[in-house]
This record gives sequence, C-alpha cells and structure tokens, in this order.
Amino acid sequence: MSILNLPLEFTGAPHNCGRHSPQNTFSSSHAQLSIMTVFSLIIINKAGGLIYQREFQPGLRKLSTNDYLVLAGTFHGVHAITRTITPRLPLQNTASPVVASPGTNAPTTSGYSYPNPGVPASGLEYLETEKFRLTCFQTLTGTKFLLFTDPMTGSVETVMNKIYELYADYVMKNPFYQLEMPVRCEAFDRHLAAWLRGRT
Amino acid sequence: MSTNKASRIGEEIWKTRVDKVNAELVTLTYGTIVAQLCQDYNSDYQEVNKQLDKMGYNIGMRLIEDFLAKSGVGRCANFRETADMIAKVGFKIFLNVAPTVTNWTSDNNQFSLIFDDNPLADFVELPDDGRAQDELWFSNILCGVLRGSLEMVQVQIEAHFVSDVLRGDDTTEMRVSLVRYIEDEMPPEEE
Amino acid sequence: MAAPRHSAMLSISNNVGTPQSTSSDKTQIAQPQSPAQTPGLRVPSNRKTIYDRHLNRSRNAELSRASFAYLFAEMVTYAQRRVTGIQDLEKRLNEQGYPLGLRLLDLLFYRATSTSSSALSSSSTSSSPPNRPLRILALLHLIHGPLWRLLFQRSADALEHSVSPDTPNEYMITDNDPLVNTYISVPREMSMLNCAAYIAGVIEGVCDGCGFEAKVSAHNQPTEMWPSRTVFLVRFGDTVMEREKVLERQGVK
Repeated sequence: MSILNLPLEFTGAPHNCGRHSPQNTFSSSHAQLSIMTVFSLIIINKAGGLIYQREFQPGLRKLSTNDYLVLAGTFHGVHAITRTITPRLPLQNTASPVVASPGTNAPTTSGYSYPNPGVPASGLEYLETEKFRLTCFQTLTGTKFLLFTDPMTGSVETVMNKIYELYADYVMKNPFYQLEMPVRCEAFDRHLAAWLRGRT
Repeated sequence: MSTNKASRIGEEIWKTRVDKVNAELVTLTYGTIVAQLCQDYNSDYQEVNKQLDKMGYNIGMRLIEDFLAKSGVGRCANFRETADMIAKVGFKIFLNVAPTVTNWTSDNNQFSLIFDDNPLADFVELPDDGRAQDELWFSNILCGVLRGSLEMVQVQIEAHFVSDVLRGDDTTEMRVSLVRYIEDEMPPEEE
Repeated sequence: MAAPRHSAMLSISNNVGTPQSTSSDKTQIAQPQSPAQTPGLRVPSNRKTIYDRHLNRSRNAELSRASFAYLFAEMVTYAQRRVTGIQDLEKRLNEQGYPLGLRLLDLLFYRATSTSSSALSSSSTSSSPPNRPLRILALLHLIHGPLWRLLFQRSADALEHSVSPDTPNEYMITDNDPLVNTYISVPREMSMLNCAAYIAGVIEGVCDGCGFEAKVSAHNQPTEMWPSRTVFLVRFGDTVMEREKVLERQGVK
C-alpha cells in the first residue's frame, strides 16, 4: 500500500541513515514542513484500557475494535516493562535537609533524589515501521496518547501538546465525562478534527 | 527551580496562554454554589465544608491536566518546589493570584499559603447567624483542588484553612502537609 | 412569585450593592459603630471587609475561563445527583442563576450611575443617569447589550420578537456560542438538555429585579457553523403585557 499525500515514495524512515540518498534527504526535510500526516489517535487510561480511538487520514489499514483493545492493553504492558528497565533519577546533590532526618514519614529510599516519587522518567516513546511511526506521550497523571503518523513526519511534539490541551479542555472540563471512562465528547472530536485539518 | 523562576512561568502562561473571563462571573458562580450547599444542608457548615472539599477534589483531578498541558512542567524535585509550583504557577494561571509560601516546618513537609487576595471571596460576607464565622470555611473548595490535583501526580497531601479574613482573621491562610508519595503502578525496585 | 425567590438568596450574601444585611439593624444605628458594619460579625483589624473595598475593584478583573468551567461543571454534576430528569436539572440550574441576575442588575445600575460615561439602555445617548427600564424593549436591550457585555465581554447575537399572534409575550435572545457551554458535550441520550439554563436563570433574575415577571428557558438551535447556538426564550407574564399596553398609550418610552 502506498502512502497517500506524499510527493515521492520512500522505502525507509528519514533517520535510517544507511539508506539515505541525497534526494530523499532533501525531500524528507520538505516533507516535515509541508506534510503532517496524522493517521490516528489512541488514548489509553491509567489501567491500560482503551478510552479513545479515532482516524483522521487514510493510510493505515483499519483494525477491529477488539484489535484496538488488544493493542492498547499490550502497549500498556510493554510500556510498563520499558519503564522498569529504565534507570531512576540519580541522586541530586542539592542540600535537602530532610534526607538526613530520620523518623519522618517521608520516603527514605536512599540513592535517589529526595523526594523520589518512585517513577522512572519515561518508558517506550517511539515505534516505527516503514509505513508509520507510533509516538507515545504519557502524561504525569498516567494517561497515554498514542499517535500514528507518517514516518516522514519529524517531531510530533507540537501535535501532541495541542492534543493534550484539547483533551484538558473538551474532555476534562466536560461535566458529563467520567474519569477513566471511554471518551464520548462531541466537542473534543470536533475541535481535534478541525485543528488537524487546519494543519495539513 | 527557584521561586522567581516559577513566578515568571506563571506570569508568562497567564499573559499568553490563558483564556480569560470576567472575574465577577466566576466569583458570583462560586458564591451561588456555596449558597446552594448551605441551603441544601440546612446551614450545617461542617457538612458544607466537606462538600466543598469534595467538589474541589473532583475539580483537582481534572484541573491537573490543564495545568500540565499549559505549563509543560515536569515532575518536581522536592516538596519545596511543589509548593512554589502550586502558589506561583497553579494559583496564578487559574485564579490570577500568587499566594505567599511560608511557615515551613523544619522537615520541609508542611507549609502555609497566605492569600492577600482571594477572588472567590470578593463581595462575600458570611451569614450573621452566630455560627458561620466559627464553622464555615468559605473557600474550602481550594483545599480539595490541591488534594485532587496533587494526588493525580502521585503526591498525597492534606490541606485545610487555619484562618480567613471572612471570619474576622487578619489573614487568609491555608496549611498544606505532605502525607506521602504514592508509588506508581510499578513495584519499588529492589535495592 | 418574585418575593419568595428573593428571600431564598439571602443565605450567603454575595453582597453586590444590596443593603439587605444592614436593613434589619436600623434600630441599632445609634451605636457608635461604622454604619455599614453588621454588629454580629467579626471583622479583620485591617478592615478587609466588603464595606471597605470599592465595588468597582473587580470591574475589569479577569480570571481564567478554566476556573469558571470547573466550577460550572461541578454545579452541573452536583445538580444532576439531586434531580430526576432533564427538565428538573434545567430548573435547578435556572434557580442557581437567578440570584446572580438580581445582583448583576444592581451592579449594572450602580456602575452606570457612578461612572455616568456609558449609558445603559441602547436608546439613551445623553449623559444623564440611566433609569430602570420601564418598557419591555428597553429591558431586553439592557440584557442583550450591557448584561451580556458584563458577563461575556460581547453583546448577544440577536434579539427577536415572536411573530406568532398567539404569543406576543415571547421574545428571543440568541447567543451563537454561549460561553458556559464551551467545553460541554451533552450525551446523546440527554440531547434536549442545555446547561445555559443557568444563564436563563440570570436573565430571569434581571427581569424580575426590574419588575418584569418572566419565565426564561434555554433551547438548542444548532446550525452547521454554530453547533452550540442557543436561544433564550423570554416569556413575560400577563400583568407585564397589560402594563405594557397602558404605558404605550401614555407614550412612556
């Protein structure tokens, strides 16, 4: 299947240096500016449940609802494991008097900066194939946003930040949305689609 | 991160990234919520305090996402930094005030927020029934907001007001205590 | 109908220029006390009370739209737990908005007189202090213009009179994108609900406060361009309509 909306067809991801020709280096840098192909978005709640799935542009094959649920759950598990193997924050040498004070109910895990919330900085952030890149953004509250984009697309950070803001507005400020439950907010769909349309 | 830096972040977000509304719409809406609770609970102010705290907790669990999305800040390195984040960024971007952080305990686990201004209480006079000034914490919703929002980033706290100008006190002061850091989905790493 | 609702709002005094809290204390006025101070209440030594602050202090003050959204969402959630259906929920939201209407009305008049720069009603261009509206149209212009600007920083989008001869007492104020509904998506099974019933309550408070008994409700009238377009239907009572006829004959504007 060919990637739609692309001026040229590439066989490799842009940062796959071994296969870079001057030609596609040139084109891919242009692609970053002119093309932001966002295929779809998935939101996974803290427990690993799929709470949102939506396609924006064609280019990937559709999965069944069940497959999306499996994808969400599996990714959640893999992400957790990648966090486990990520080293924790090293101890900062800022003078924090409480570290030395015994008898408080503060966590006293030695060897880490105080206070150590016991959370590694991050887990799995990217997954890439020839046809798409999956970017995961986990908020500090534990919700995950999974964005499927064209692998030519450079940083998806701007898109991710905007999605998070729209989520904070049109999902979290909606009195009819129950936390951790599937997201059915018409205004969120509408603003998300409109914003992504405006970008492409 | 220093207090000054937190203040600058708060100011910057307030100026450039926050959609605004007329302050009186917010103040009067909060007033009508408290009045409704007083009516529904027959002026049982202890119960009203509890309900306000609960509402605040619900708000906090949602508000934290907006705070994180707008500020883009990461995890705080310690509780002192958390206090500055609350006072200089959180209160700034949601209520356009920046309470003073003070009265730290020596173990750095407790501090006070002193409010020079409290937009929720503009226009307010407590009922003159001989009890409200002793029992009602008019702005108690704020305690719940802090509790709810921090719990979502794995920080368990306790917060309560110790004085309020509406009660005839000279200051409005909230006391905030760190209870513990909540271990996330991961079991603690073996040492 | 207005009287009992007025009294219901007294429990907490969000005191916007209403002298209610002092009115019952007139007998004690001989005491050497600050006349505005309610004797039973303690006040801070630095006198940070509502009587010591200027009422226009918060006139141009701003807060985040998010704060409003969270409070309003909690109001809706709380109301929802205590009602049986959509109509009941809208009634409750209306009741929560009503006292705001009364207070905002006082605030509007106070500010219009104290600054005397901008006139309240659309018809008057003189600098004389504005009067309370006597006719329906003047009242509706007050709501459509100054009230909307005070609350939402812009006028409402349309003001219409019912074209049906059966309902001459019905007027419609349209807001293409009500601020209170910005972040709200009503679930499909509640599609009739419009949370702007809260603002309908505010309008009702303003009408009642001016002596125009009315019922106000909020209705969804979406268009493709304005998905949350809302029409506030104002239905004036019979006595208001009768008075309107008398005033018209007398040439009162």
